[in-house]
Amino acid sequence: MSSIATLVQADPRTSRVLDETSKREIRRATLTALAIPGYQVPFGSREMPVARGWGSGGLQITLAVVGPTNVVKVYDQGEDGGVNAANLRRLVRDSEGVATTTDAREADVIQTRHRVPEDALGEGQILVLQVPVPEPLRGVERDMNELRRMHAESDYARMWVSLYEDVVRNGVITRTTGYPCTVDDRYVIATTPIPRWDVPKLHQAPHIALFGAGREKRIYAIPPFTDVVPLTFDDIPFEVEEVAAPCRCGLVSPDGAADAYLVELPAQDGTSTWVCSDADWCARRRVDAGLLEAESLQEVEL
Amino acid sequence: MNDWALRVQELGRIYGPGGAECVAGTGPEFGRSVSPTTGAVVGCWDIGFHVSPGEALGVIGESGSGKSTVMRCIAGDQQTSTGRITLRSVDDGATDLGSLTDSERRALRIDQLAVVYQDPSEGLDLHVSAGGNIADRLTAAGWRHFGNIRERAAELLARTEVPLDRMDDPVATFSGGMRQRVQLAKALANRPPVLLLDEPTTGLDASVAAGVLDLIRDLLEETGVAAVVVSHDFNVIETLTRRCLVMHHGRVVEEGLTDQLLEDPQDAYSQRLVGAARG
Amino acid sequence: MTSAAVPTPEPTLAPETVLSVEGLEKSFTLHAVDGRTVEGLRGVDLLVRERSHVALAGLSGAGKSSLLKCINRTYVTGAGRILYRRAAGEVVALTELDDSAMAELRAAEIGYVSQFLRTEPRRSAHDVVARAAIRMGADPAEAHDLAAVTLRRLNIDERLWTTRPVLLSGGEKQRVNLAAGIVVAPRLLLLDEPVSALDPANRECVIEVVADLTARGASVVSVFHDLDAIRRLADEVVVLVGGKVVDQGTTDDVLDRGLDLEQELQPL
Repeated sequence: MSSIATLVQADPRTSRVLDETSKREIRRATLTALAIPGYQVPFGSREMPVARGWGSGGLQITLAVVGPTNVVKVYDQGEDGGVNAANLRRLVRDSEGVATTTDAREADVIQTRHRVPEDALGEGQILVLQVPVPEPLRGVERDMNELRRMHAESDYARMWVSLYEDVVRNGVITRTTGYPCTVDDRYVIATTPIPRWDVPKLHQAPHIALFGAGREKRIYAIPPFTDVVPLTFDDIPFEVEEVAAPCRCGLVSPDGAADAYLVELPAQDGTSTWVCSDADWCARRRVDAGLLEAESLQEVEL
Repeated sequence: MNDWALRVQELGRIYGPGGAECVAGTGPEFGRSVSPTTGAVVGCWDIGFHVSPGEALGVIGESGSGKSTVMRCIAGDQQTSTGRITLRSVDDGATDLGSLTDSERRALRIDQLAVVYQDPSEGLDLHVSAGGNIADRLTAAGWRHFGNIRERAAELLARTEVPLDRMDDPVATFSGGMRQRVQLAKALANRPPVLLLDEPTTGLDASVAAGVLDLIRDLLEETGVAAVVVSHDFNVIETLTRRCLVMHHGRVVEEGLTDQLLEDPQDAYSQRLVGAARG
Repeated sequence: MTSAAVPTPEPTLAPETVLSVEGLEKSFTLHAVDGRTVEGLRGVDLLVRERSHVALAGLSGAGKSSLLKCINRTYVTGAGRILYRRAAGEVVALTELDDSAMAELRAAEIGYVSQFLRTEPRRSAHDVVARAAIRMGADPAEAHDLAAVTLRRLNIDERLWTTRPVLLSGGEKQRVNLAAGIVVAPRLLLLDEPVSALDPANRECVIEVVADLTARGASVVSVFHDLDAIRRLADEVVVLVGGKVVDQGTTDDVLDRGLDLEQELQPL
């Protein structure tokens, strides 16, 4: 008779989330995507242990591209310790047997939702982004065939019209995340789910960026050293978020060279503090500045 | 005929099986457009004409005459069965538009060929503002400067007498006559050399129609565009065109100078048509 | 029909002739009635010399207006032909020109003023005349001034220039139509009853203006029911009866010969 303990023990047969054939298909889709920068490649999205809409697409890519000697970082909105990030990281680790880290500089594959690391990534690193809605023209057209035609013919007039209407109504282009960009002067992509702050990092980056949408069953990619240009009018420059107030530890402020993306932490009394979104990066910075003990870095269960 | 902008040669459109063989037995002399042999409908057959820059050619006919079929074939909204359609501005007239792919045909609609439809919702996106509809054409043509786009849109709307304070309102909130004005502005946005107008004032109230008609008349004179005006309304044809064709059962039964057709129609059907309109 | 071996000769006109009508026939087939044919012109010959004024005379229904319309191609003709010498010198057969060419020729060289007192709807007099000027080749920047000059010459009150034409009197409309026809002087002007609705003072004005046109080089073919106007303006008179020319020659000769005609041509 089995005990609960034996049942709970990781079974190497069942902890393998993705079989080799599936991985091969996903890798092929990924290679196609890299060969046609910005083009949304359809793929057979598998059932994953995470629900649709919770990163199944990114997860499949990570599982497919990662090798036994790779190091993987998974984080969500800048936090490695969040429930979802931790869950996904554990899945990858148990399924593929890879090592994990919170330090972006050490990781070969970084799976993310909503942020690109503040550390500049280098050649050989792969950024895997979890994408809820891969279609940049989603708000503008519903018909699938028409969407396919628009991408095929580079007919993005409707996108431009919606940007025009946006400026007319609001004075600025109001998109916050998922800002549409032209990749390699050809396809327009949704840079969902990253904020505008991170968009310039994609342009001519030395690393690979892979975008996975599990529910929508699409993969698109930006190969290294590729042009990624945000769609904007010649007389309306692309702007990133402003640093509204100095961060809690004072290392990032509007007066100094704002070099990190801040998020607001509202307090019970209605006030708020601003902290760096990229928690790991911030922690290392604070250690270097003597504001934090080095031991406190390893808070996150890997 | 050195100076032409649009040329149509032996244009034919058949709905149904049979090709050229089913045309026999149809036409004005037989009084029908349906082929007695295959049952196919001969929408139009053996249509040929040319239009020069600054000239407006009228195509008159009653419903079912095939005039709208001809227009849609030229516009690219329909495939032709036979014949050639050429634009001076495309390979100097060497390329038959029918041989182009759908996407090449669509590209022509950006700045080579514009269409004003009877129903404004066919030519406009009703959910988008008046200025936005024009921005659609301008950005398709490569305009990327917001200020310039807005200025050109305002200029066009002013010229078509759309109140400027409505420039940012969605076209769905506009009356029929106003929608037609926006359609005109949009059609002329990229200064196309050829303009097709399909029953541009039909369906509008009389007073509104008169205003739109006058506007079209002025615009045609000012822009020097080569225009084809399809209408069943003699008033429209007389006001806008100086040459025209009369269509019946898919064929051209008579063509001539507009004033000649109205005062001295030769063909029996033309005489009936003019008589009914002019008394 | 000429055989293929014999080429059709290029049309020619005697020097100093601007228009030649040769054996022109015109009939109307009324399909809508009972298919009957009504004869309009039954073989008309007419010569118009450069810088001359030819007046067509005859009773109503004789075919005078029809002849003008045939020359202008508003009417489709049967047998016969109409030759015209263009400003550049070449001779063309108006009856054989395709519609586009005829339309261009009208815009460039041939003016036609209808007897009907109908002007373009919803367009001010000034606009009508200015647009006519542009159509006949005037510089758009100057068209409005040119129109003003012509409207003034024809004694049209400046206050009426911006009035909608439907509010103008018959005589005012007639002069606006004339203004549109002559704002840029055509080479050949076809005038159908240009003074019929005018009071003596305005009639006088128009007669002077038309005389001046010929003096400056235009050729005119006109229809008048006004004997005095004919005497003052026409170099030659052609008399039509029942669609045929019954008399033609210098004004004095024809009018002296046709004393009976005088009775019938008295102003109404």
